[in-house]
Amino acid sequence: MMKPKRYHPLLMLFDVWGFVKNVFFLVIILFVLNYQSQSFLFKYGRYAFYLYTVITFIYIISKWLTQKYKLGDTAFHLYKGVFTKKEQTIPYAKIQNVNRHISVFHRIFKMTSIHFETAMSGEDTTIKFNVISLQEADKMEKVIEQGTQHDRELDDHDFGQDKLERQNDIDVEEHKEVPDEVSTLKTNAQSGRQNRVIHFNPTKRDVLKASFTSLSFLVLVPILVSLYFQLDDFFDLDERAEGLISIILSAWWLIVVIIVALVITSIIFGIVRVYLKYGKYEISSDEERVYITQGVIDERSFSISKQNVQAVEITQSLIKRLLGIVEVKLISAGNLKIDDDDLKISSLYPFLPEKRAYEMIAEILPSYEITEQMSKLPKKALWVRLLRPIWFIVLVSVALFYFQPAIWGLEQAWWIGLVLLIVVIYSFVILGYKNTKYTINDHFIQIKKGGMVTSHIVTKRDKIIEVKVFRSFLQRKLGIASFEIVNRANPVRHTELDDIPVAMAGSVYTWYMDRTKEIEIE
Amino acid sequence: MFTDIQTPQKKLSKDIVKVTIISELISNSIGFIVLGVLFYLDDRFSWKDWIGWILIAITVIAILAAVWSTLIRPFLLYKYTRYHVDEEFLQLKTGALNETHELVPMTKIQAVETNQGPIMRKYGLYSISIETMGSSHAISGLQRDVAMELRNKIAHYAKIKEVES
Repeated sequence: MMKPKRYHPLLMLFDVWGFVKNVFFLVIILFVLNYQSQSFLFKYGRYAFYLYTVITFIYIISKWLTQKYKLGDTAFHLYKGVFTKKEQTIPYAKIQNVNRHISVFHRIFKMTSIHFETAMSGEDTTIKFNVISLQEADKMEKVIEQGTQHDRELDDHDFGQDKLERQNDIDVEEHKEVPDEVSTLKTNAQSGRQNRVIHFNPTKRDVLKASFTSLSFLVLVPILVSLYFQLDDFFDLDERAEGLISIILSAWWLIVVIIVALVITSIIFGIVRVYLKYGKYEISSDEERVYITQGVIDERSFSISKQNVQAVEITQSLIKRLLGIVEVKLISAGNLKIDDDDLKISSLYPFLPEKRAYEMIAEILPSYEITEQMSKLPKKALWVRLLRPIWFIVLVSVALFYFQPAIWGLEQAWWIGLVLLIVVIYSFVILGYKNTKYTINDHFIQIKKGGMVTSHIVTKRDKIIEVKVFRSFLQRKLGIASFEIVNRANPVRHTELDDIPVAMAGSVYTWYMDRTKEIEIE
Repeated sequence: MFTDIQTPQKKLSKDIVKVTIISELISNSIGFIVLGVLFYLDDRFSWKDWIGWILIAITVIAILAAVWSTLIRPFLLYKYTRYHVDEEFLQLKTGALNETHELVPMTKIQAVETNQGPIMRKYGLYSISIETMGSSHAISGLQRDVAMELRNKIAHYAKIKEVES
């Protein structure tokens, strides 16, 4: 077995790089723009900055010296702490999904960062390797996969259950031995790559379609505006800009040229942006896991064991609905973000043609069956939904009638606003009613709902952790009810479906009770 | 009634009616004292007219709410709260007008604890709260021995873990 190992030395450089990025503007303020300034703030600010830099470097180096990790047979062992020593053991079985990120920094040194996400609550729920060689990362994933399988097989031998989960034929012989030799691991890692089936690579058409549906060409203007304000903090742009604007406004042809140029650059910028993000996209899977890779320069990848997929969500905005495009997301109990970006990469390509999307779910997750035959809401549901917003509308009408505010000097503004509000509310209600569909199909449940943006969730009975069935007084009188299912996700996900026939809601409850037949007990 | 659902049968202790009434009386009295002080200040410093009207509206609502929460709700609470625990599920049914049925698998329960407020202590009652990954549930108002037995039972059943994948 391997000994505790230090992290890769380049991690220190990575941390320094992060530090430089963080203090970049501070350095400019302290040492470039105000270097001459002898005021108290800047003088001592500079000393404080030196001190901060020294402490940061000491911290980075001592962190590297003291932090170690070990890959055990079935668990990670992490060691850290300069003064207080801390040892953490995290079983591989607790890992929900794996995220990788190859930034420009990593690309220069042919490294990657890899995060193993667990679903534990509290601190240190992610096992992070911010700089690690590609081979080492591949090796780790392999060890973990085998470690978990080893674990699960032991369970199988003891209980012989869970036939339902294990749809894929696992070659038991191969996984029996947990290899401790690096060489065997390497070959395994390579063979693992070869076993993968690629399900999707976007074509040029897909990228173009994506850039228009995502309205990415509208992004340039806000970016320019925010850039302007950021620069304005340092240089006095306002005066110069005023001069420039008056020149532009003086000649109409200049306005036209500038507008045309702006439109063209916006479109090009949008396409390039979408290309960089979604141009190189690959969805692949092998028997055990699903892999999603995205990004041309800044590469992110996500992988999840098929068994850890808590639910599948298919979302569609209004534009996507018109173009027949959907986004398919895999719901994991672990964290889906890497670093602090808001980029979630759990989504199979966000701009998939509808038909292809459903085929792909069937290919990737053969244990998920999605049926298109779903029940609609009863007529009664529409009446309840039309009644519900009435108290709010009455309240707003009374208030508007009392104050009669005039907007832009328009006396009639209050009732025009009221009519608009009613139209908006009821178009949402009617759209929501039309879009809502549901079905229970063997051990699957499908819920589709939403007004402008629809969300269609498919999950299995054994992945649902709680069920609630409820009805209000009005619902009871009409013989309808609501229910809510709870799924593990990050954060926990509650899905509610309102106004289905009372018998159906009752059967959700009894359906869920039958889960005991199919779960596996440790 | 939901036709398919077998309604759980276990009820709370009858004393929960008194406990709820007392605690509601206390909190309502505090509310009315605050309102009284506001009325006094309104009068003393002759606040604007509309403030007085708002205070009157609040008082009317508060009186209605007090009647509901002290004279009606405690009885409904007792009458309509049911629970059931077996080795597979925790079942809860609550609500008279708005009826709710909850179903929680034992394997998903992460913690169970008993707690007791001062008024509950006077009547020897306990409240059990059950934490799961997704939410927390409470059964409030059980006799001491019933509560302890239930807590131990849930703790025992919840020890069994299903393979999480």
